[in-house]
Amino acid sequence: MIGVSADRLAMRFDGVAAVEDVSFDVAPGEFVTLLGPSGCGKTTLLKMISGFLAPTHGTIRLGGKDVTDVPPEARDTALCFQSYALFPHLSVRENLEFGLRQRRVPGPERRARVDAVAATLELDPQMDKLPNQLSGGQQQRVSLGRALVMRPGVILFDEPLSNLDARLRDQVRIQIRQVQRDFGLTAIYVTHDQTEALALSDRVLVMNAGRVEQVDTPEALYHRPRTGFVADFIGGANILSGRLQGQAGPGLWRIDTPIGPLTAAAETAPTGPDIALCWRPETAELAEDGIAAQVLHRAFQGHFTDLSVSTNGIIYRIQAPRTDAREGDRVHFRIAPDHIILLEHAA
Amino acid sequence: MKPGGTAHILLLLTPGIGLILVFIGSVVYIAVAQSFGLYNLRGDSGFSWDFWIEGVDRRSYGRAVRYSLYVGVVSAILSVALAYPLALWLRKPFRGSLTVSAVLKAPLLVHGIVAAFLFLNVISYHGILNQVMVWTGLFDEPRRLQNDRNAIGLLFLQVWKNMPFALLLLTGAVQAISDDVLNAAQDLGAGAWARFRRVIAPLTVSAMQAALIIVFIGALADFTFQTTIGPTNERSLAQYMTFMKDRGRWNDAAVVGVTLMALSFVGAILLAALSRLLFRGRLR
Repeated sequence: MIGVSADRLAMRFDGVAAVEDVSFDVAPGEFVTLLGPSGCGKTTLLKMISGFLAPTHGTIRLGGKDVTDVPPEARDTALCFQSYALFPHLSVRENLEFGLRQRRVPGPERRARVDAVAATLELDPQMDKLPNQLSGGQQQRVSLGRALVMRPGVILFDEPLSNLDARLRDQVRIQIRQVQRDFGLTAIYVTHDQTEALALSDRVLVMNAGRVEQVDTPEALYHRPRTGFVADFIGGANILSGRLQGQAGPGLWRIDTPIGPLTAAAETAPTGPDIALCWRPETAELAEDGIAAQVLHRAFQGHFTDLSVSTNGIIYRIQAPRTDAREGDRVHFRIAPDHIILLEHAA
Repeated sequence: MKPGGTAHILLLLTPGIGLILVFIGSVVYIAVAQSFGLYNLRGDSGFSWDFWIEGVDRRSYGRAVRYSLYVGVVSAILSVALAYPLALWLRKPFRGSLTVSAVLKAPLLVHGIVAAFLFLNVISYHGILNQVMVWTGLFDEPRRLQNDRNAIGLLFLQVWKNMPFALLLLTGAVQAISDDVLNAAQDLGAGAWARFRRVIAPLTVSAMQAALIIVFIGALADFTFQTTIGPTNERSLAQYMTFMKDRGRWNDAAVVGVTLMALSFVGAILLAALSRLLFRGRLR
């Protein structure tokens, strides 16, 4: 079990920056997810950690050792690919043994390690099959097993669940987390799916346009996003710009917004009069008075109703646990100051 | 399938496959029959083992078989061995890769006899190669390079002519291997040679077999290159067969011809089986 440290990593392709000035640390045994939209640089970052891409600038350390120029085959990492990347001409057992054979692990130990991992991942009945005889979930487990038998210091996942159906995705997700804990592995996981990231990770590193927007626990990212991008990407948020009007009490700030005045709670005073703020759609409470809005669209979602509403031409969302409001109705709502988050900047 | 469906399909296939079978069948039949004394064009016809017994017993026959096998096997292996690194190099497009690929395949457009004469000009006593070697001081004086005893020149020409064909077959197969599979092998500790031996070669073994077989059969039965630049102390089977035919010994020529066909068949199977066994570890 080793830690990972990236210091001022940058990667440029033909002069275009894919990753820019990224630094972070992953503690031994920690599960960290690189989360962001397509093209944000998360896979490029993972490829730099695994050694398939040499960074244009910066250093990577595994267990304190600088591995920036070490080739992938000599790094203490194992990568689980999005496409599984199983060797199609080899049986499941041969796939699992591949890396151990490369490291010349003696036969008895090799078999013992492969059998142990196969038992953990319930692959015993599939050992003599070829990859094309397996289901997607089984292939993913072989890919995971192939990495696990290597007992790597760091295990890397490149969107491993994206080719699985929703039900299987949940199963394998739980299995990945379980295995990571059981084997005490340091894990770096790449995904564009915020649900996956929140469910799996100890910490999430949110990326946008090659840069890190925020690194935090899933709870902190959801409840205390620092930027409009993070607020919107993690769970969806209503983001507004406003102007500071003054203090409304201890730690309370009155802000004028296009939908009306709002009061936000913040321990420190905003740095300037121009404010970016957000709130989660489920934190708005329908009330008899408060901010007025017209319902544009209503979508019943079971345990809540998703309302798309408009105030002064600004369209935003409210999720109400129970409401009879219909399209065209006028509603009023309030948001508690604790639920209004002041952002460092909007999107 | 409806009754009569099979007959219908066979009937539709007849113009294509039927013609091929008739041509191959008639050639094989005549060659085999002649090797046993039938269809004698210069004397009495009648079944006899004598042509085979006497033919196989001749020292020149054994030498021709060994020499042709040497040329066939070495040409096939060298052509494929040289084509692999080029196919891997050209796997990913880069600036100029299309031009490089086109230049490498240019020998396919040059006829064998023309290539042989071009090569002869290059390696002749007063050819470019000798001039360059003398100019650089590597040779004190021009040397006789053509018709060398070890058939190095012939093998060079065989590889020059056949490698592009092997490259053509291997390029597609190598390009079909996904980057992820190769990256996975590397990630699991496989260096360049291990990746080739344990991933690339097994996954492209079908193309490798096709290239080996086609180059082997072509080089085994070579006549043009052998008579132009081949060693004068050796005769290829094709040359030996023509030698017999030119002397009116049609039955002896047929023995050599059937030998050539049998060697092509057996050699092709052996090369295919060996390459699969070597790189896949199994025949299936």
